[in-house]
Amino acid sequence: MDGLLGEFGSGDAQARAESWRYSRLALRALEQMPFQNAAGNAQLPPALIERFDWPQTRGHRLVFVNGVLDAAHSDAGASGAIIETAADGARTIRFRGKGVLHLVFANVASDAPSRWNATLHIRVESGKAYVAEQHVGTQGADVLGALTSEITIDDGAALQSATLGDLPGSASLVRRTRIALGNDAGFDATHALCGGRFQRFDIDAELAGAKAHLASRGVFALRGREHVDVHLDVRHAARDTVSDVMWRGVADGRARGILHGAITVAPGADGADARLETKNLLLSPHAEIDAQPVLEIYADEVKASHGATVGQLDERALFYLRSRGVPLAAARSLLIAGFCRAAFARIEATDLRGPFEALLDAHLPQNADGAA
Amino acid sequence: MAMLKIDNLHVRVAGKEILKGLSLSVNPGEVHAIMGPNGAGKSTLGYALAGRDGYEIAQGTVEYDGRNLLELEPEARAAAGMFLAFQYPVEIPGVNNTYFLKAALNAQRKARGEAELDSMQFLKLVRAKLAVLQLKEDLLNRAVNAGFSGGEKKRNEIFQMALLEPKLAILDETDSGLDIDALKMVADGVNAMRAPDRAFVVITHYQRLLDYIVPDFVHVLADGRIVESGDASLALKLEEHGYAWIAQRQAPVEHRVGAA
Repeated sequence: MDGLLGEFGSGDAQARAESWRYSRLALRALEQMPFQNAAGNAQLPPALIERFDWPQTRGHRLVFVNGVLDAAHSDAGASGAIIETAADGARTIRFRGKGVLHLVFANVASDAPSRWNATLHIRVESGKAYVAEQHVGTQGADVLGALTSEITIDDGAALQSATLGDLPGSASLVRRTRIALGNDAGFDATHALCGGRFQRFDIDAELAGAKAHLASRGVFALRGREHVDVHLDVRHAARDTVSDVMWRGVADGRARGILHGAITVAPGADGADARLETKNLLLSPHAEIDAQPVLEIYADEVKASHGATVGQLDERALFYLRSRGVPLAAARSLLIAGFCRAAFARIEATDLRGPFEALLDAHLPQNADGAA
Repeated sequence: MAMLKIDNLHVRVAGKEILKGLSLSVNPGEVHAIMGPNGAGKSTLGYALAGRDGYEIAQGTVEYDGRNLLELEPEARAAAGMFLAFQYPVEIPGVNNTYFLKAALNAQRKARGEAELDSMQFLKLVRAKLAVLQLKEDLLNRAVNAGFSGGEKKRNEIFQMALLEPKLAILDETDSGLDIDALKMVADGVNAMRAPDRAFVVITHYQRLLDYIVPDFVHVLADGRIVESGDASLALKLEEHGYAWIAQRQAPVEHRVGAA
C-alpha cells in the first residue's frame, strides 16, 4: 500500500520517494484522516464568493466547488473558450484566438474531512489565451483537493496563466500540471502560493517544438506551519527552445518551503537557452526552505544558468530605509514585499496584478508599527 | 547651544577600534568639512551617528538637540532631523522610489506629531524638489537606486535630503565618483538648503567638493581623531601638502570651533 504517495507520486518507488522527500511526512499526516468524498453541491458562502467575484472577469468564469462545476456561479460566455465535458467528468477547454478565462476552485469544508479530484484539459489551438486560476476555501474540517491539468499549446499559440493558491489552514491542494508546447508556442505562468495546510505543485513542461518558450515565475509566502512544495520539471526537447524560471520564497514561523527546479536539455535540443533562479528569505530561525536546482544537459550548444540562494533580509537595505525614517517593522515589510513582487513584474494583464499583490499583502508580515 | 556635540567618541567595528576619542561641536547654520586619508574613520563617524548596527560605542557621548543621540533608533534619529547621505547608496530592487519616500516622509512627520501628506500634496512637493536638482520624474517610478548610475545614486541622495529637509545632514563622500557637472549639481542642491537653522557635516577625501560647498570649518580626521581644525583655507593647505603633512601631528588637538 503506497497510500497517497502512490496516488500522487509518479515514476517508480525510488523516484516517488525522492520527489516527495521533503513532503512525505505532510502526506503521511493527511493519510491518517478518514476522508470522505467532498460534496460537490456544497453551498458557497457569500464571503467566499466575494473573494473571486472580480468585476473584470464576469462572463469569463468557471467555478468549481470541491472539484464539481457550479453552474449557478459560472458564466464563461464571454471567455472565448469552448468547453466540453467527457463521460468521466474531465473537462476540455479549448481556445482559438483571444480568450480570457477565470477558473475558481473553491474548497468548502463539511463536518468531516473530505477530498475531491478534478481533471482539466486545456488546449490553446491558436492566438493567445489568458487563464487566471484561483484556489480559495472556507475554514473547517480538512479538505484535500487534487487537480490534474493537461495543457497543450499548439504551434504558434500562447498561454499566459496566473495562479493564486490562497487557502485556509484546513485545506490542502495537490496540483499536477503537464504542459506540452509546439513549435514557437509560448507559456508564461505566474504563481502566488500562500496559506493552506499543504500545497504541492508539480509542473512538468515539455518544450517539444522548435522555438517553444516557457516562463515560470512564482512566490510562496509562508508562515505558521504552512508547507508548500513546488516541483518544476522542464524538458527542452527541440532546437532553440527557451525557458526562464524565477521563483521567490519567504518563510516565517515554522513554515516549510521547497522549490525543486529541474531542467533537462535533451540530445539534439541545440540552441536551448535555460535560466533558473530561486531566491529565498528566511524570517525565522525555525523556518526552512529547500531550494534545489538541477540541470541535466545532453546537447552541445546550450546556454544554461542557475542560481539558488537562501538568506535573510539585507541588513544594509534595512538600515538604509531606517536611516530615512522608516520604522523597523515597516522597513522589513517593505523589503519583503519588494523581494516578492519581482516575480509579478511580467503579468501582462495588469488588472490581474491587483489580486496578486493583495494576496501577498495579506500574507506577508505586516507593519506592526501601525499603532505607533 | 551646539546642535551636535560629540565628546571623546570611541567606536568599535567588528572588535576593532576605529574612532579613538573624536570630539566635535556643530552649531546650527554651520558647514563643517571632515577630511582625512582612507581608513581614518570618516565613514565610521557617519554610520555611528546614524545608528547603524555593528558600530559599537565603546566610550564617549553624543548630544543632538539636547538629547542623548546614542540611545535613539536610526528611524528616531531621522525623525529628529538627522540625515546621512550614503557613500554607497543601497540598491533595493522591488521597492518603488516614490512609495519609499512617501513612507519615509510620513513616518517622520507622524513621529514628530505633524500631519501626514496625502498623495497629491506629496507629489507636489516631490516635483518642486526634482526641479531644483534637474532630476527626471521617471526616476521616481523606478526601484530605489536599482540600476541607477553612480551619479544618479548620489543625486538621488541629495534629492531625498531636499525632500526630507533635515536639520543636520551628514554627507559621506557624496563627491566620490561624480564628474564635474554632477558635482556642481550636488553642490547646488546643498547650497540651496543652507539655512540658519540647518547644519551640514561634509565628509570628503578631496578638496574639490569644497570649492563648491564652502565650509565654515575644516577638520582633519586621522587615525580615529580630529588632529587639526581650521577654516576653509585648511582644505587648500591639505590639497597642497597632502595628508602626509598632517601625519606627524597625531596628538589630538583642542578643537577650536565649538564656540564659533
